[in-house]
Amino acid sequence: MDIRGDLDALGARFPEVAIEEVPAGGYNVRVAKGQYLDVVSYLREVGYNFPSCITAVDWKDRLELVVQLYKLTEGLTNSQIVMVRVDGLPREGAKVPSITPLYPGLDWHERETFDMYGVQFEGHPNPKRILLPDNWQGGYPLLKDFVDKRPKRPRLVRHRV
Amino acid sequence: MEQTKELLLNMGPQHPSTHGVLRLLVKLDGETITWAEADVGYLHRCFEKLSEAKTYPQVLPFTDRTDYLSAITNEHCFALATEKLMGLQVPERAEYIRVLMSELQRICSHLLGLGAMAMDLGAVTAFLYAWRDREKMYSLFERITGGRMLYNYLRVGGVRNDLPEGIIGTPKDGRELADKTIWGFINYLDSYVLPEWETLVTGNRIFQWRTQGVAPLTAKDAIAYGTSGAVLRGSGVNWDLRKNQPYSIYDRFEFDIPLGKENGDCFDRWWVRAEEMKQSSRIVKQALQWIQETPGEIMPAKMPRAIKPPKGEIYQRIEGSRGEVACHVISDGGPNPYKVKWRSPCFTHLQLIPYISPGFKLADMIAIIGSIDIVLGEVDR
Repeated sequence: MDIRGDLDALGARFPEVAIEEVPAGGYNVRVAKGQYLDVVSYLREVGYNFPSCITAVDWKDRLELVVQLYKLTEGLTNSQIVMVRVDGLPREGAKVPSITPLYPGLDWHERETFDMYGVQFEGHPNPKRILLPDNWQGGYPLLKDFVDKRPKRPRLVRHRV
Repeated sequence: MEQTKELLLNMGPQHPSTHGVLRLLVKLDGETITWAEADVGYLHRCFEKLSEAKTYPQVLPFTDRTDYLSAITNEHCFALATEKLMGLQVPERAEYIRVLMSELQRICSHLLGLGAMAMDLGAVTAFLYAWRDREKMYSLFERITGGRMLYNYLRVGGVRNDLPEGIIGTPKDGRELADKTIWGFINYLDSYVLPEWETLVTGNRIFQWRTQGVAPLTAKDAIAYGTSGAVLRGSGVNWDLRKNQPYSIYDRFEFDIPLGKENGDCFDRWWVRAEEMKQSSRIVKQALQWIQETPGEIMPAKMPRAIKPPKGEIYQRIEGSRGEVACHVISDGGPNPYKVKWRSPCFTHLQLIPYISPGFKLADMIAIIGSIDIVLGEVDR
């Protein structure tokens, strides 16, 4: 219940933010790119202390950044997930402020998002690739129009004679 | 003139004591670590991209292969996410079987985690003992699911098959039936294996010297770094998704949450794992009792022919063997998931290495890696 109260307070503080409940559980908090850092720091201050994950979604014409946070205090049950979403990012060269200084646990997750979607995080302490090789030139694999340009390997299956 | 310089040392990717293909870069001043970094990605198998091209039931076996030592809990996470998207009701018996298997899997995974850590610290015997007991568990799993390590046992809506006849046994089963019946194994675990671990390793003074006070992590940092599972509870934070965010039917079981002290060190993380096995065995006993008494279906009566969840999304969290496993599934109404994101605890825990290891000796690095119990399959996915 108090999650809803927190989000109502957030809505009063930032009137442009759209808050909606997800049918399968949790809340969506849709923010504009300019307010993203402010909203996340506000949530950090009111006790959303656990960084679960950060990722992006490719909607074919735009990218959407999704940050999953929740409250972690002892004895708290049913701590719903709060998904802060920044929609409408360009599919090439998207730049958003990094929230690793607020949540050190998102460091690698932000690096992975850069690796897979090409979203650049400004102010990240160590903006490098993580899963792909450092010299990877083949594009961003989790974009929907990604084509694997590497040469095909021969099939190692023996054909029946 | 001779000068002391920092030495850059490369551990891995095939160093035998670094658990799979992990590469660590360490800067040393004498024998003290001043800087460390982990280099991952050697085992990247494009799980998330692959699952966009597969149907929901086809993704399930892939989830086994992320954390291959804890396959059932991963399947549980993805199956729960799909069921919630579809609004499917899982039969009660299937839920109990899922919990039973998850907890057996947790014992199995912790046994290996403890064994590997002990072996890295020089106690090879402990690792062999862990293997001896895991072998018995594997025989049980093989009879139940058909697989020894990667099971593909859970289905969207239930489980593949009911427990085979005679696998449950009776509460009086002793050691000699440990690889034949689940009761036999649980009794063997309680009466023999866990006390043995306590006297052999946990209470061993050399082991305690090697681990106590090494790489402490405060509760505040543990939360800020996104840790979960034994690492979080080792730092004294009372948080377990089975209790705090009950999924499946975990709210029906009685169990406690073992906690470390405020500044959890390697020993606390070890101790929490060892205690968790006892709690898992308690849950297994309660589940066994219910399953023995109550027959029932294992798949819903009205199962839709094609698994096509309606448009929507879900972020499903569960308590895996190593911590919070979560998957973010977006459905566009088609047979394939639009997007699957796998949040793995090991990936998050490995970020701790540059933070907690400086100031300790190189030999302590082995204890640190062992205590956060990483599985590289899950780090790289």
